[in-house]
Amino acid sequence: MTISPIGAAGVSSTGPLSAASRTAPAADSSGFAGSITKALDELDQLHSSADSFATQAATGELESVTDYLVAATEAQLATQVTVAVRNRAVEAFNDIMRMPV
Amino acid sequence: MSMFGSLGVSASGMGVYKTWIDAISDNVANINTVRPSDQPAFQRRMVVAQSVGGESGGVGDGARVAGIRLGDPEGRLRHDPDHPLADEDGNVRSPDIELSDEMTHLIVAQRSYQANVTVFERARDAYQRALEIGR
Repeated sequence: MTISPIGAAGVSSTGPLSAASRTAPAADSSGFAGSITKALDELDQLHSSADSFATQAATGELESVTDYLVAATEAQLATQVTVAVRNRAVEAFNDIMRMPV
Repeated sequence: MSMFGSLGVSASGMGVYKTWIDAISDNVANINTVRPSDQPAFQRRMVVAQSVGGESGGVGDGARVAGIRLGDPEGRLRHDPDHPLADEDGNVRSPDIELSDEMTHLIVAQRSYQANVTVFERARDAYQRALEIGR
């Protein structure tokens, strides 16, 4: 699989933005930015484990086909969940932005 | 149990039945492995499955292979004087494996593996359907 893992680096730029825009003081680990960063980290781990299984399959070191397919399916589902959550969040943000003042 | 718990549980079942099929193929491959009568016969491989987790009343984490039990080392003493491995009495030792038993177990193992794959696919479809809520 040649999908490059989604690193947390791409999300860290949203940190200062959310810190500047938030009204209530909150810890960095909480809130939407924190949870999406955590989810992306977990997603990255799932993808890297699926990638290592794919490498094993290509080099003939794979012991169980099941392990690879399960890891790949978990990575796929986790990606779909993360994308769905992100889409909903962006949708909510846009709804707020469209609010007439 | 993690977010996609049933995927891991089904995968553990697949792993157990894969090991069982491996053991059956080993038994069938060695069904004609003959040894001299002063050596132990090829011992049949039997997979011991064990449940994982769930002791505290919750849903468990699937199954795992607890170990491999070995069959009777006595095997079957067979009279075959022309065999190159035969002793003075003309006896050789064959493994105590019944091919019909192994084939029956193979059917059970294969069907059980397929059942786990079906559960896996249904769980994946359910998770994907859940993502469409409110879409």
